[in-house]
Amino acid sequence: MAEKTNIVLKDSKYFENRELSWILFDHRILGEARDKTNPLFERLKFLSITASNLDEFFMVRVASIKDMVNAGYTKKDIAGMTPKAQLTAISKAIHELVELQYSTWGRQLNPQLLKDGLHVVAHHEDLDKEEGAFVDRYFQENVYPVLTPMAVDSSRPFPLIRNKTLNIGAMVRKKKKNSELEFVTVQVPSVLNRIVELPPKAGEKKRVILLEEIIERNISKLFLNYSIVCAHPFRIMRNADLTIEEDEAEDLLKEIEKQIKKRQWGECIRLEVEQGMDPHLLAILKKELSIEDGYLYEIDGPLDLTVLMKLYGLEGFDDFKAPKHEPKPVPELPAGCHIFEQIRKGDVLMQHPYQTFEPVVEFIRQAAVDPKVLAIKQTLYRVSGNSPIIAALAQAAENGKQVTVLVELKARFDEENNIVWARKLEKAGCHVIYGLLGLKTHSKITLVVRREENGIQRYVHLGTGNYNDATAKLYTDIGLLTCSETVGEDATAVFNMLSGYSEPLFWNKLTLAPLWLKDRFLYLIEREKQYAMEGRKARIIAKMNSLCDPDIIVALYEASAAGVKIDLIVRGICCLRVGIPGVSENITVRSIVGNFLEHARIFYFENDEHPEVYCSSADWMPRNLERRVEILFPIDRQELKDELKHVLDVQLADTVKACVLKPDGTYEKVDGRGKKAVLAQDVFCKEAAKKVKVAKNTGESRTFTPKMAPSN
Amino acid sequence: MSFKTFAAISVGSFELTMKIFEFSGKNTIREIDCLSQRLDLGSETYATGTLSKEKIDDLCRTLLDFKEVMKTYKVGAFRAYGTSALRETKNTLIVLDQIAQRTGIEVKILSNSEQRFLDYKSVASKGESFRKIIEEKTAIVDISNGSIQLSLFDNDALMSTQNLRLGVLRLQEMLARLNASRDQMESLVDELAGAQLATYKKLYLKDREIQNIIIMDDYISPWAIRRAGNAADKSTIELEDFDALMELLHSSGTMGAAKALGVAEEKVPLVMISAVLTRRIAKVMGAKKVWAPGVTLCDGMAYEYAEEIKMFRGEHDFERDIIACAGGISKRYMGSRKRAETLEYLATTIFDSMKKVHGMGNRERLYLQIAALLHDCGKYVSLVDIGETSYDIIMASEIIGLSHAEREIVASVVRYNHSDFIYYGYNESRGTDFSGKESYLTIAKLTAILRLANSLDRSHKQKLRGMKANLTDGELRLMIDTQEDITLEKGFFDTSSEFFKEVFSVVPVLKTKKIF
Repeated sequence: MAEKTNIVLKDSKYFENRELSWILFDHRILGEARDKTNPLFERLKFLSITASNLDEFFMVRVASIKDMVNAGYTKKDIAGMTPKAQLTAISKAIHELVELQYSTWGRQLNPQLLKDGLHVVAHHEDLDKEEGAFVDRYFQENVYPVLTPMAVDSSRPFPLIRNKTLNIGAMVRKKKKNSELEFVTVQVPSVLNRIVELPPKAGEKKRVILLEEIIERNISKLFLNYSIVCAHPFRIMRNADLTIEEDEAEDLLKEIEKQIKKRQWGECIRLEVEQGMDPHLLAILKKELSIEDGYLYEIDGPLDLTVLMKLYGLEGFDDFKAPKHEPKPVPELPAGCHIFEQIRKGDVLMQHPYQTFEPVVEFIRQAAVDPKVLAIKQTLYRVSGNSPIIAALAQAAENGKQVTVLVELKARFDEENNIVWARKLEKAGCHVIYGLLGLKTHSKITLVVRREENGIQRYVHLGTGNYNDATAKLYTDIGLLTCSETVGEDATAVFNMLSGYSEPLFWNKLTLAPLWLKDRFLYLIEREKQYAMEGRKARIIAKMNSLCDPDIIVALYEASAAGVKIDLIVRGICCLRVGIPGVSENITVRSIVGNFLEHARIFYFENDEHPEVYCSSADWMPRNLERRVEILFPIDRQELKDELKHVLDVQLADTVKACVLKPDGTYEKVDGRGKKAVLAQDVFCKEAAKKVKVAKNTGESRTFTPKMAPSN
Repeated sequence: MSFKTFAAISVGSFELTMKIFEFSGKNTIREIDCLSQRLDLGSETYATGTLSKEKIDDLCRTLLDFKEVMKTYKVGAFRAYGTSALRETKNTLIVLDQIAQRTGIEVKILSNSEQRFLDYKSVASKGESFRKIIEEKTAIVDISNGSIQLSLFDNDALMSTQNLRLGVLRLQEMLARLNASRDQMESLVDELAGAQLATYKKLYLKDREIQNIIIMDDYISPWAIRRAGNAADKSTIELEDFDALMELLHSSGTMGAAKALGVAEEKVPLVMISAVLTRRIAKVMGAKKVWAPGVTLCDGMAYEYAEEIKMFRGEHDFERDIIACAGGISKRYMGSRKRAETLEYLATTIFDSMKKVHGMGNRERLYLQIAALLHDCGKYVSLVDIGETSYDIIMASEIIGLSHAEREIVASVVRYNHSDFIYYGYNESRGTDFSGKESYLTIAKLTAILRLANSLDRSHKQKLRGMKANLTDGELRLMIDTQEDITLEKGFFDTSSEFFKEVFSVVPVLKTKKIF
């Protein structure tokens, strides 16, 4: 006890830096790409994901830390690192990560692809004569017309190299005698498929070459009076964190459009070049793009590995992919059912993508045409292209329903997309709210108001994931459909607040960020601590994407020190450290990286044998708890609580995809020796299938249900 | 089961609120939505007497927004009432017309007594809890931004009601002018309120002990309700709780207090004033407990409307309260209760028998009752000029539940009971500008009835208690069952029946039943 008094829980030595923790997360995904037990093409996909993740990380995180350094900001983060120190550490860690990415590609995946019949021709120099003629024709017909070669000389300044684009830089010399070396560049057009199929050779199923190789081969055709000295691909990444001056922006929509254009001009924070690039060419790029050494990446392999996602899409390799997952029907909400009637029978919990997202779409679709429905209100964060939800909302408005939609324009990298949807909805007659000043609306909530025989009845959908039918097939999320009066009242109040009205006097069930959620979590953690100190039952299981809120972490440390057993399932960033004597000995952290992206946020509190289970759109991050509108909702029905507890238990028992955080800050796969192999995502797939079977056997859906004319 | 939806909009001085209610056949009122937005109309009208274009724009924008929300519930009917900020605007009518033109919403201005009455109805809408409390001696303390209203109940009936200019915002303004620091606030509010409360105690409370206090306000009540876990029947505050609240307000900064209380920061000083005020009042009245049901004007509007369309029947008899309130005024000015009761009886008997002819309803009957109760209050001031002095007293007194215009009707009826009737358009110099044609006719009819009734009890000896009235063939036959000499009454009857004939074209005839 005596030593406890010496522990200052806020001490930076008890925290991990969030950026380094994130890099570890990308490493875990890379681990899946390196895992030989995964099908080959799935491994390609994982490798591609590590690359696109890294791109985003650069544009957002590295960029903002660089901003801090540029601004002379020296405040340390929770782990005690100054921005400058972070940059140094990040740079080192990313170089290691990239090295591992390309060794995974070069030493493991590419050779294996070749073995399994997919030949990726690495260099155009490797093409034989016939193939050479093939790609030259391809270049003339398809590529040449869309290229815009650009030269730099005294009359033409260094051109704008667009963010994230692949380019070919070359040094050229006029064919006249004694001419000077000149720099030219051409962008590899993103409108064309980067993978070009070649006629396969014997023993191969497919033979492909990358577009930039074809351009490189033909680059002399772009600069006819020049001789090409050298040509190499390069790629840059710019600071893309939008800084929107909301106070000054009269029209948020226009401001965001402007900012998206500006994104092309951000400071250059990464330069990727082909290994062995001509030093002269490299020097020009470095100088013109003001790249310091730490931000240069010399790549041994194709630049921009997100191209592997396209490789994954090639037909004919189904044997090397995981079988396609078909989400199962939700037994309580069979296709063709009257969804409101079904909800009246009891709250419905859905687990995506094991169960289909279709009922959620159907919920809005039926609301759009149901004569009893008066109003639909929904928050939209990220929607899919061609979203059926948008279509249903537009239809509802056309049918005379009152439709209010909050479209979060500030959803990062989706801004352009969102503007399109927002305009479409407005045209259809929906009342569109373009987010809130200074806050991102991240909550996922839908409210349907129905006028029934007994009066106004409200139906609510609450979820942990976006209303995006495409990602709902890939992200694991929880959704709840309910017509509980108390939740309905709260949902109405949520939309009133989002429309600019005052907060309600009282919340029945929901807790909202940024005003109340953090306090609520702290209270729930503190309550477990109190119970533990009184010797009563206390335990916390929490599943989320990221954990980096210092107040929450301190609360968890306090609870752990008081004897609360805490099991955390954190997919990504985790700034909490485990196994610190007197601080976090009772805390375990595990991360699950699987075929589906773990996305649900589930919180379990033992509460002295009166367990409470909550779901939320929020992670335990300051941005979620302080700068976003988020919702925490309780799951009240006992069966549903049990179901979610089971989800957590199975994930805690995972021995295949789970990595455990060690006291030294590294992650290690769970030691599965002597244990039955449990793959949580597989278990849930099977369970969802079983549920459908059970429902069928009980005969519930054995009868035909004739559709009646809607009653008015 | 049938149900109806109703929207109540209150255009308050600092907040614009709309509540949506649903009335079902089960005699229940259910609140289904509540939207409120800060819109500070008060500081402008209080200071300049007018509303700026910007404020009117804001107001109209929100009202239009409210209309959209009404559509989401297919609201069948709505009402919009404005309180002191709009009331105190110089160009009220112009502003109201603008609002109506731009939004299609007609905002009605409530007089203080109407507003308080609705507030009071909203408390009564809490049903059982309310009924139980007012069985004991109870005070309703209705704290608003401009003034507070103190109403006393005993044994299920209203005893008195009085308005004091001690509104929360008014006090805050005073404190701001005094440059009061936060620590001084408490004692200054105590001082400011103390003097007026002492006078109030002397005049109205005397040595009556009040057991319960019901408060209505926008500052303490939300806190109390939240504290009680949203259970209105449990939101009682003990005197010690006030001390704890004051302690909290003193010890933590504005931000901390706002967080702890769950209110917006700008409301924290107002919470403090409201708390000091309530505690002071509780001490003056000797009450130990304060109940904050957390109801608002909108709740009262719903109650009123639901009653009107017969979707709700409250337990409490509000007319009795209005009459009790008038009775209280009569008593203060030493009116004779017996005389007043006789007059009320005679007047209402005539009124009821004349229904076919006069075409007036229950509300007018209530005016008549009140006029009968207050018929001679002016004699407290002058025995000569009873009509004029009575008029002035009634206009200066507050009768809860009556609007200003209604009070003017009552006052005029009492006045013409004694003075000559002033015909509409005949002499406009003497205060007839208030009355449109309708109230003018009401005044004439009620005056005719009250005069006739008055003549029947000229001697103030209540000789004619068992009168029966019967309307046949253009004659109003008044059958009297009395052994006493009624020469005096008969004499006056003839003179006062002239006006009656003129107004109704009915001849009143006095008949005595001889019991020989």
